[in-house]
Amino acid sequence: MAMQDAASTRRATAIRTDGRARRPDLVRRRRLNVLVGALSLPLFVGLWELVSRSGTVNMVLFPPPTVVATAVLEWIRSGQFFGDLLASLFRVTTGFIVGGALGILFGILTGQFPVISSLLSPLFHILRPIPPIAFVPIVILWFGLSEAGKLFLVVWGVFFTVWLSTHIGVQKVDRGLIRAALMLGTPRRQMLQEIVLLGALPYIVVGLRTAVSISFYTLVAAELAGAFAGIVYRIEIAQQNLQTGQVMGGLAALGLMSFIADRLFAALAERLVWWR
Amino acid sequence: MKLAATNSPASVEAARKQPAIQVSNLSIVFDSKRGQVIAVDRVSFDVAPGEFVCIAGPSGCGKSTVLNTIAGLEVPFEGDILVEGAPVYSPRPDVGMVFQQPHLFPWKSVRRNIAHGPRMLGKSRTEANAIADDLIAMIGLTRFADAYPSTLSGGMQQRVAIARALANQPRVLLMDEPFGALDAQTRAVMQDNLLALRDRIKATIVFVTHDIDEAIVLADRVLIMSAGPGRILREVAVKLPRPRSSSVMVEPAYLSLKKDCLDVIRAEGLRAFNQSDAN
Ligand SMILES: Nc1ncnc2c1ncn2[C@@H]1O[C@H](COP(=O)(O)OP(=O)(O)OP(=O)(O)O)[C@@H](O)[C@H]1O
Ligand SMILES: [Mg+2]
Repeated sequence: MAMQDAASTRRATAIRTDGRARRPDLVRRRRLNVLVGALSLPLFVGLWELVSRSGTVNMVLFPPPTVVATAVLEWIRSGQFFGDLLASLFRVTTGFIVGGALGILFGILTGQFPVISSLLSPLFHILRPIPPIAFVPIVILWFGLSEAGKLFLVVWGVFFTVWLSTHIGVQKVDRGLIRAALMLGTPRRQMLQEIVLLGALPYIVVGLRTAVSISFYTLVAAELAGAFAGIVYRIEIAQQNLQTGQVMGGLAALGLMSFIADRLFAALAERLVWWR
Repeated sequence: MKLAATNSPASVEAARKQPAIQVSNLSIVFDSKRGQVIAVDRVSFDVAPGEFVCIAGPSGCGKSTVLNTIAGLEVPFEGDILVEGAPVYSPRPDVGMVFQQPHLFPWKSVRRNIAHGPRMLGKSRTEANAIADDLIAMIGLTRFADAYPSTLSGGMQQRVAIARALANQPRVLLMDEPFGALDAQTRAVMQDNLLALRDRIKATIVFVTHDIDEAIVLADRVLIMSAGPGRILREVAVKLPRPRSSSVMVEPAYLSLKKDCLDVIRAEGLRAFNQSDAN
């Protein structure tokens, strides 16, 4: 008995010290990860600065971060930056909203009504895989360098993604929910607003989120096709003047815009699908 | 409502009145890839007002199909179905249904789920919420009134589904294996809950199950169905005293009833086996 007790006590202590030993280890590792994460960008930028100034690369083509920062400050000070930012933001948001709204509308129509689906789905499925960038030449023919052409490209890119996810979402609405709703006296004509839309909402939100990055892809194509203002337009001009610093600054600005847009939408999405 | 039926003289009187459900010569044929399948073959039965009838039978014998047809969800069919004296073409608010899966609206809280039916029938939000809160208290989920279905256990979800079906005060409640997806313990608790509930709501209940024990514990009468094509083999009246609970399962009267049912099922199983052997 006594021996058994001693043995079990020993085992218990062993487990306890083991646990105590493991936990600080985990904490230490997590702290290390945070530290390394915080160092990631400065380390990268520092290395870049060193390589650029080392003389092994052409500084005009591969300017160091300090030169890029100066170019960006110059860009902002000249007053052009905010004009460019606004122009690009306007194209992206308007295109996203119009394309998204149309996508949701047609997704509901084709998802809910088989006749409309038979009519439109084959056409949409043929048009959808064509990369929006491929439409640049014809958009220039149709719209010239007008704003409408740029919006068209963004709308085009956003529309098909949102249409398809809405269509699938509507089709995938649980038949059981519809039967349950029918049994509770829900009129068929109210089924759309009561059940189908909400049932499809998670899919619609996923489609919209994918469309956020697509709207930035198509923005690039739209502005490269010729514009009078815009972040990507400015990148192109700077490239022609061999102002590589501004080119890189423009890329960073574009990346930041796209990143913030995605984060904002992720936060919004959580609120849109409130029951999750 | 004066539709209460127990195994007292009241039920005899009730049976003399117009049946709550009349099914006569119901046949249902499905078109499948391998030709036509007769899912239900000339099924006839009546259910008296306030009666609790269980339909028991093996998987695929057409229990759900019969129930869906009574609910107005399965059209077209051959034969006649009258609920409360009126033919059924489409879902009606005086017929409630609980499915095997709870099918709660995931975007609505427990209260809103239960209030959905009354809202659809034109009640104000306040009225509908009051109805919902009464039912929530009855199923013992007051603490969860504002919770979303995904945060509830399977048993709790099914209780909400039952409360939701009751919110429109249906004269007829159809239940399609509502406890089929639950574990044995939860299932027994739910059966007791339903028996207690049933004494209060006084609706006519048709309850589908493939579990003969569940059928006998719950029902006034058990209809035993056979498969291929679905037919009613036998009716067994369950004259066990009420109020009842699942503990009735150890009583001799219960056991002899169960033996009767099992004999019918075994005989049918043997017959089907021999037939398939001969073919
Ligand atoms: N929509 C349908 N199309 C074709 N066949 C069907 C359809 N619904 C049911 N059936 C067939 O009808 C028969 C009865 O099905 P039903 O679902 O009513 O059985 P059940 O008794 O409820 O079975 P379970 O206990 O598994 O739920 C089965 O053979 C099934 O394959
Ligand atoms: Mg079934």
